[in-house]
Amino acid sequence: MKLQHTLGGLEGLGPVDFEKRVFVEEWEKRIFGIHTALMGLSDSLRGALPGYDLDSAGTSFRTTWTWADLRKGAESMNPFDYFKYRYYEKWLGGISGYCVEQGYLTEDELAAAIAENRSAADALVSEGPAGAIDDQVIRYLREGDSPRRGPATPRFEVGDTVLIANPPSGDHTRLPGFLRGHEGVVASVAEGNYTYFCSTGGDGLGDPVPVYVVRFDPAVLWGAMAEHRGSPVYAELYEPYLTPATHAEED
Amino acid sequence: MTDQFAYPSDRESASAAKVQALEALLIEKGVITSTTVDKVLGYFESEMTPLNGQKIVARAWVDEEFAALLANDAPAAIAQLDLPDGMAGAEGEHIAAVVNGPGVHNLVICTLCSCFPWPVLGLPPYWYKDPVFRARAAREPRAVLTELGVPLEEDTEVRVWDSSGHSRWFVVPSRPEGTDGLTEEQLAALVTTESMIGVAVVEPPATVGSNA
Repeated sequence: MKLQHTLGGLEGLGPVDFEKRVFVEEWEKRIFGIHTALMGLSDSLRGALPGYDLDSAGTSFRTTWTWADLRKGAESMNPFDYFKYRYYEKWLGGISGYCVEQGYLTEDELAAAIAENRSAADALVSEGPAGAIDDQVIRYLREGDSPRRGPATPRFEVGDTVLIANPPSGDHTRLPGFLRGHEGVVASVAEGNYTYFCSTGGDGLGDPVPVYVVRFDPAVLWGAMAEHRGSPVYAELYEPYLTPATHAEED
Repeated sequence: MTDQFAYPSDRESASAAKVQALEALLIEKGVITSTTVDKVLGYFESEMTPLNGQKIVARAWVDEEFAALLANDAPAAIAQLDLPDGMAGAEGEHIAAVVNGPGVHNLVICTLCSCFPWPVLGLPPYWYKDPVFRARAAREPRAVLTELGVPLEEDTEVRVWDSSGHSRWFVVPSRPEGTDGLTEEQLAALVTTESMIGVAVVEPPATVGSNA
């Protein structure tokens, strides 16, 4: 398990930096836009519920880019680097690295373009069906990519006490580390089953599974480090992260 | 400017040069077009902004039936309003509302990344993505809220919602006292992004602006 999987509850931190802006540096807007555009052109959308026609979009993008890919990049970082780089710096590193890795451009091309101070304004564009690419990206933004698949098949019900599993997290997980090994109570069961962008291997995600909101008592999570009047944490967890609690074996 | 941005002077310019080179190359390679990034940004600047959330909250304050539906089936409630096309689009596919009330204050966080209900609140502010906030809000939300100036009664329960699954939560803050005579539009104008994440309460008009 990595530090960036276990942020919740970390001790010894100072005041929150209450910066209310979304973007502080202008360049941050561009990497957000690139990331979002690639999600809207991702090959994985061929399986999405809205029925996107990626072939008509005319993009040369032919691979999968989802939140899972962005998150994997951040989660695979050396934890100390993770905290060294600011939010959109991690995005820029992850997305440019991915584009090189997938062969959309080379390190040399990128270095040359940087050295020449190239920008979108002087990109050499062959006038193609430009509108179709933009239309697909905007259509993705308006119609999304719901992970809901099929009817719910829940193993647990509201009120059940569950013990959170502790699977090897590999390169990606949706299980907050501070919940591992703790007991919680099922507060609600989602309607339907939910898939995930990719398989997370031994971590357990990928196939459509039930999803639960689980309530955790602060004393259970934090022990003596809970606040004086502790606050419950509600987390939304995929069924592979839940196991039946066996109270007989407690104490 | 905060310490978070106190970096060597070429740190930002190096990133700026890299991202504009990356965008130029992706355009030349036919991945995106010269207008794609601007159109994405325009979508969030003009359509998917916190104004959508403000309108949803204001409606909930004036219409009990709507408020009840919002709490139980937020997408159905949101679909009733005249909002931009795409409220159930990217990062809005499964919106859920958590409602503040007497004795209950909700706080939405994402300890693993930065999940956020884009169509309702727009894009996440920096503090929401700050590892310090994400770490501290999970264990010591009362301390964080007190630091941020949120008044909490001793017996108010703070409920922390960690966005680790498909749902994208937002908070329906309590309607402030002294707003009986206001129109729905005037009420909407009182609602802040921060109050819809749970790190602020909505102030009545008389004190708006006093909270720096």
